[in-house]
Amino acid sequence: MSFLAPLFFAALAALAIPVLIHLIQREKKQVVRFPSLMFIQRVPYKSVRRRRIHNWFLLIVRLTALALIVLAFSRPFFERDDLDLATGGAREVVVLLDQSYSLAMGDRWERARAAASDAIDGLGPDDRGSVVLFSSGAEIAMRSTAAGERERLRAAVAAARPTAGATRYAPALKVAGSILAESSLPRREVVLVSDFQRTGWRGEEGARLPEGTTVRPVALTSGADLANASVTAVSLARSTFSNQERVAVTAVVVNRSTRSLRGGRIALEIGGRPIQTEPLEVEANSSTSVTFDPVTLAGPFMRGTVRTGDDALPTDNVFHFVVSPAQPVRVLVIDRGGTGGGALYLMRALAIGDAPRFEAAVRQPDAVPDEDLRRASAVIVNDVAVPAALGRRLLRFVEAGGGLFVAAGSRATWAGDVDLLPAALEAPVDRTRGEAARVGALEFAHPVFEPFRTPRSGDFAAARIYGYRNVKPGMGTEVLARFDGGAPALVERRVGAGRVLLWASTLDLAWSDFPLKPVYLPFVHQAVRHLAAYAEPAPWLTVGQVLDASSGTAPAQAASTVVLTPSGRRVGIDEEGADVLELTEQGFYELRSRTGDTVTAVVASNVDTTESDLTPMDPKEIVVATAPAPGEGRQAGAAGQTLTPEAQERSQRLWWYLLCIGILLLGADTLISNRLSKT
Amino acid sequence: MSLMASHSPSAIPGARFMDPVVLARIGNLSLVSRAVVDGFINGLHKAPYFGASVDFAEHRGYVPGDDIRRVDWRLWARTDRYYVKEYEAESNMNFSVLLDVSKSMDYGSIGITKLDYARVLTACLTSLVHHQRDRVGFVAFDNDVVEHVPPSAKHMETVLHVLDRLKPGRPGSLRGPLHKLAEHFGRRGVLVVISDFYEDPETVVDAVTPLRFRGNDLIVFHVLDPAELDFGFSSASAFEDLESGEQIPVVPDTMRREYKKLVQAHVDALQQRFSEVRVDYTLLDTSKPLDFALFQYLSSREKKLRLR
Repeated sequence: MSFLAPLFFAALAALAIPVLIHLIQREKKQVVRFPSLMFIQRVPYKSVRRRRIHNWFLLIVRLTALALIVLAFSRPFFERDDLDLATGGAREVVVLLDQSYSLAMGDRWERARAAASDAIDGLGPDDRGSVVLFSSGAEIAMRSTAAGERERLRAAVAAARPTAGATRYAPALKVAGSILAESSLPRREVVLVSDFQRTGWRGEEGARLPEGTTVRPVALTSGADLANASVTAVSLARSTFSNQERVAVTAVVVNRSTRSLRGGRIALEIGGRPIQTEPLEVEANSSTSVTFDPVTLAGPFMRGTVRTGDDALPTDNVFHFVVSPAQPVRVLVIDRGGTGGGALYLMRALAIGDAPRFEAAVRQPDAVPDEDLRRASAVIVNDVAVPAALGRRLLRFVEAGGGLFVAAGSRATWAGDVDLLPAALEAPVDRTRGEAARVGALEFAHPVFEPFRTPRSGDFAAARIYGYRNVKPGMGTEVLARFDGGAPALVERRVGAGRVLLWASTLDLAWSDFPLKPVYLPFVHQAVRHLAAYAEPAPWLTVGQVLDASSGTAPAQAASTVVLTPSGRRVGIDEEGADVLELTEQGFYELRSRTGDTVTAVVASNVDTTESDLTPMDPKEIVVATAPAPGEGRQAGAAGQTLTPEAQERSQRLWWYLLCIGILLLGADTLISNRLSKT
Repeated sequence: MSLMASHSPSAIPGARFMDPVVLARIGNLSLVSRAVVDGFINGLHKAPYFGASVDFAEHRGYVPGDDIRRVDWRLWARTDRYYVKEYEAESNMNFSVLLDVSKSMDYGSIGITKLDYARVLTACLTSLVHHQRDRVGFVAFDNDVVEHVPPSAKHMETVLHVLDRLKPGRPGSLRGPLHKLAEHFGRRGVLVVISDFYEDPETVVDAVTPLRFRGNDLIVFHVLDPAELDFGFSSASAFEDLESGEQIPVVPDTMRREYKKLVQAHVDALQQRFSEVRVDYTLLDTSKPLDFALFQYLSSREKKLRLR
């Protein structure tokens, strides 16, 4: 039962009035005036000094009447749950059990399981129960099981373990909402067993429970002030020393607790062996970084781990990463060669750069070995006539996923039967007289021009273009840049798994001064990187992210892959197995080819360190946020789940009866007291 | 007239003594006193002192200083001795009523308060004495003198008027006003004190007896309500003192016996102490008829005179 105007309860103080009347007024009425108390005072004391209630019945009638009237003014009403409770009815109970890794702290997990078991034990004979385990995602361990099969529900709870995931309440609540929405039972309840970390709830996450659902939070929040340090990230600084690539690891350690951490140790492990240990001190609510000595990269997929000592929550004390020697992007430049070759600026541009490093080779159109073409990630055709045979080979190269850049100067021709270029080459346009052409209208959304998006990050219009080829873009192409006259300057086309870019002018000084402009170098780098589909491999992933077949491997190798999880499970992620694999464990995932069983990639998986922040929240926030919005209640009303206005009025009509009874009692009181005063 | 019916032969015997409640309802003290007093013997009380009169009382031997005009020369002729003739002094005496008008007198449980009863009694006595051509006076007091009408043959109406507008006021105390009055009544006469005497018997007697020192004849009426004598209350209540306002919760049933015993002891003590100092003491119950009280008193006075 709730009250619309609970402030009226202050009027209960008026209950003292009849008591005082009965104690005082009645006594005053019986005062006898007597000439002198001279003799009465001499009589040994036998009078009644203590005031006492003379008429209990009258007093109780008055008190009851007043209390009922006050109760009526406070407008009591039955909530729907209360109504159901009063009338009985089976419940659909969903137990949401948090299994994020923060539950591994202290005895939280035991308490969480006990609370879940209590909720299951509390099921009535007609109730149904579900168990949903959640961390960053939610998993239905047991769905809407009859209370008679309590053992299965209990077994689902008993089998649960804390995972490496972080807490996210919204998915779990949405799952609970879907289970409850399908239920036909009259009463719905969600038991949310969690440590209620602030980081798990962002507020408006759209998780709404059906109308009339009761959310009962069970908070396990003790021990939040224990010291807890976590390694949140590492940065890898590559360097070269004696022709060997080295990497220096810097780890960031955050202490989110209110106690400072002193006398700790932090160790770097490579390949599972500790190679360096450093002292660690972190003040409360602050962070520090520890840099280890550079480590020589011996080979691909070098597994590194940064580990700090034990504290209240050991899961976040470990941070894994995988580092491999940097792989250069191999570029094949097809140029006419000789002294008049125009690849000078292009080669110089490609020679600069560390991340990634470009390894460029120049070949003439008639001497392009298959091996060069196979190894290359991108090919640049620099204003040469491409014979049909080369054109067909380039077509196959692109279709297999390679990238092709074509600079169309005066000499560029293309075999008409090889459909590879994004646009047909037409007559050159001479802009040596009058105003030189400029490049404008760039598609900054495209990866090639994306670095130049912000102001002052490169002015393409500074380059003067004295000549360009008119090109006619074909179907399915995209014009990424245009000259000031509107003619296309850069056109892209996707062919098979690869891409082709056509630049309608030269990349040397023959037709423009573009190579002399500051934007030339980043443009070339960006274009080649885009064509080679270069992406720096991530040193680590976070639990909850997915692993697909192309992770860390060349596209050609992705066909058949088996993943060996940190716990030793083998999962196939090819056409025979799942498409993707969600990372659920902390450690190293190995990707192996199904045939040769050779390691094709190693992925480090780390826990989400936002979970290390143990700051609790008020569970009521979730209770309030998941209550249905007023509009939703009306919609649910169509399904008979909400109260009609008449029913609402009926549930609030109690005050009327209370008032009537109170007034009747007052009338009875008047009659009784009149009769008493006559006697 | 119902009041006069008390003297008609046809009246029932009990009605002879007039109900004080009925008398109180009449309101006119003059009429009341006349109605009561007319029932008594007209003008026959003898003065307690010897004086110039026509009624011979006795002879006594001559002592130097006696007026030689009173020497009975005929007796000297027969006996050769000087005798003086004594005569009964007739009523030209002073008569004053000293009425206690303290707050405690304003109590009555049967329709008449003690003060009203005393008022009627005073009017009756005054009227009786006035018929004898004696001088009448009146004093009202509580803890001080409130009203004072000096004795005079012409003060009958004044006394009745003062009596009529008396109002009970302050708490009372006997000693102060009575000692003051004792010095005032120089000439010998009859003094009547009417009070409820809510003080210790010793204190009462100590306060009253000085009135006798100048040779006054002193009569004391102790007026009490039947409720004060019987304590006939039933329900437990808070009893409030009329004078002090003090309240005491009382369960009457449990203390009635002790109370009555105490009151009786008080009355007995007063009776005892007043008789020791030769003061006439009469207890008057306000439920008893007034003429009955007068009759009781006057008959006892008669006896005393005869004895003397």
